[in-house]
Amino acid sequence: MVTNLQNSVWLLGAGEGGHGLTPVGLFAYAFLVIAIIFGILTASKNGLNPRYFTNRWTQRTEQLYLFLENMALGIIGPHGKRYMPILFTFWLVIFISNLFALFMPSAPTADLSFNLGMALIAIGYVQYEGMRANGVGKHWTHFAGPKLPIALIPITMMIFVIEIISEAMKNLSLSLRLFGNIDGGHLAAESLNSLGKHIIPVGGMELSIPFGAFLLPIKLLTVVVQALIFTLLFSVYLSLVTHHDDHGDEHATAAAH
Amino acid sequence: MSAQTQESKGMPYPVMAVIGALLMFGGMYLSTDPPSALSFQADLAAQGIPLDLGKTIATIGVFLILFPAINLFFLKPLEEAISERTNTLEEAFTDAESLREEMRTMRSDYERKLIESEENARTQIQSQIKEAQDLRTQMVAEANAKVDEMTRRAREDMESERAKVMGDLRLHVANLAFQATEKILSENVDDARNRKLVDDFITQAEVGTK
Repeated sequence: MVTNLQNSVWLLGAGEGGHGLTPVGLFAYAFLVIAIIFGILTASKNGLNPRYFTNRWTQRTEQLYLFLENMALGIIGPHGKRYMPILFTFWLVIFISNLFALFMPSAPTADLSFNLGMALIAIGYVQYEGMRANGVGKHWTHFAGPKLPIALIPITMMIFVIEIISEAMKNLSLSLRLFGNIDGGHLAAESLNSLGKHIIPVGGMELSIPFGAFLLPIKLLTVVVQALIFTLLFSVYLSLVTHHDDHGDEHATAAAH
Repeated sequence: MSAQTQESKGMPYPVMAVIGALLMFGGMYLSTDPPSALSFQADLAAQGIPLDLGKTIATIGVFLILFPAINLFFLKPLEEAISERTNTLEEAFTDAESLREEMRTMRSDYERKLIESEENARTQIQSQIKEAQDLRTQMVAEANAKVDEMTRRAREDMESERAKVMGDLRLHVANLAFQATEKILSENVDDARNRKLVDDFITQAEVGTK
C-alpha cells in the first residue's frame, strides 16, 4: 500500500531532489491537461451553431477566443488572426496547467523543461515568421542594427551578437518567468504549510493548519496572469518581426521590456 | 476565413504531426537515458535549475501535434460558426436596413398622398361651399320673386275686390239715394236722366271724401 502510494507520488510529484517532474510524471500531467482541454473543447464544440451559442462552454471558449483575437489584432495587427491557433493553444495549455498547480502536487508549468519547450517553440516560430515576412537575409541583418560606416564594423558585429543573445534570452525569460511563478508559488505554499505542521495537539494527535491555502487567491491571480503574459509577449515578439513600421517597432520593443 | 488561421503556408499538418511524434519519443528517450553530452544537466540540477532537455524536446513534439489538432478539432469549426453567425447578422442588418428604407419611402408616399388628399378635400369643400352659397342665393332670389309675385297678386286681388266693393257700395248708395229721393219727392225717378244725376252726385261725393 505504502509502496503504491509512493509510486503514485513519484508519478505525479517531483522527481529526485524535488526539482521538476520525472519524464513519466510530466507526461502524465501533460496527458491530463490535454484530456481536460479536449474535454472542454468537445463540450464547446457541441454547442456550435450558425445562429447563437446557448451552450455555456461554447460561450466561454468563444469569449476566450475573441479576447485572444482582439489581443492579437491589437498587438500584431490585421494579420494577427493567423496566429490564433498557436496563441489559443498556448493560453489553454498554460492556463489549465497553472490550474493544476493550485490543487495538485505539481504541474507541467512548474517544470522548467516543459516551459523551455514552449518558449523554444514560441521564439522559433517568431524567427520563422520573421524570415517569412522579411526574407532570411533581411531578418538576420536586422539584428545588426542600423547601417554604419565600414570603419564601425566592430560595433555592428557587437550589436549583432548582443541582439542574438537577446533573442536567445527571450527563451529563458519566457520559461523562467512561468517556472518561477508557478514553482515559486508551490514552494511558498509548502513553506507556509510547514509552518503550520503539528501545531494543534488534539487527543494525542497533532493537527496541522494549511497556511499555504491562504495563498490561493494570489495563486489564482497568477494562474491567469502568467497565461496572459506568455501569450502577450509572444504576440509582441511576433509583432516585432512581422510589423514593417519601424516607428511601431520601437513602441512594441518598449512594451516587451 | 480559415485560410487566415491555418498554417497551410508553413509546414503541412501531417508532417508536423509526424515530426512531433518523433520529437516526443526521442525526447522521452533522451530524458530516460541521457547521453554524456547532457551531463551538464546534473550540474544544473545540483544548482537548483532542474533542466531536462529530453523533456524539452518531448514538449516541443507534443506541441507540434497539439497545434494542428486543436486548430482542426475546434478552432476551424468555431471560426466557421462565428463567420456564419456574422454573415447571418449582416444579412439581417441589411434586410432591416432595406426594410427601413422601404418604410421611409412608403411613409413619404403616404405623407404625399395625405397632403394631396387634404388638398383635394379642401378644394372639394370650397367648391361645395361655393355651390351651397350659389344655391342659397338662387333660393333666396326665387323666394323673393315668389313673394313679389304673391304680393302683386294680392294687390291685384285687393284692387279688384276694392273696385268690386266700391261698385257695390256705389250701387247701394245710389239705391239709398233713390229711395231717399223717392221718399222726399214721392215720385219715381227711375229714369235715365235721374240716374245720371245720382251718379254725378256720387262721383262728387267720392271726390269730396278723397
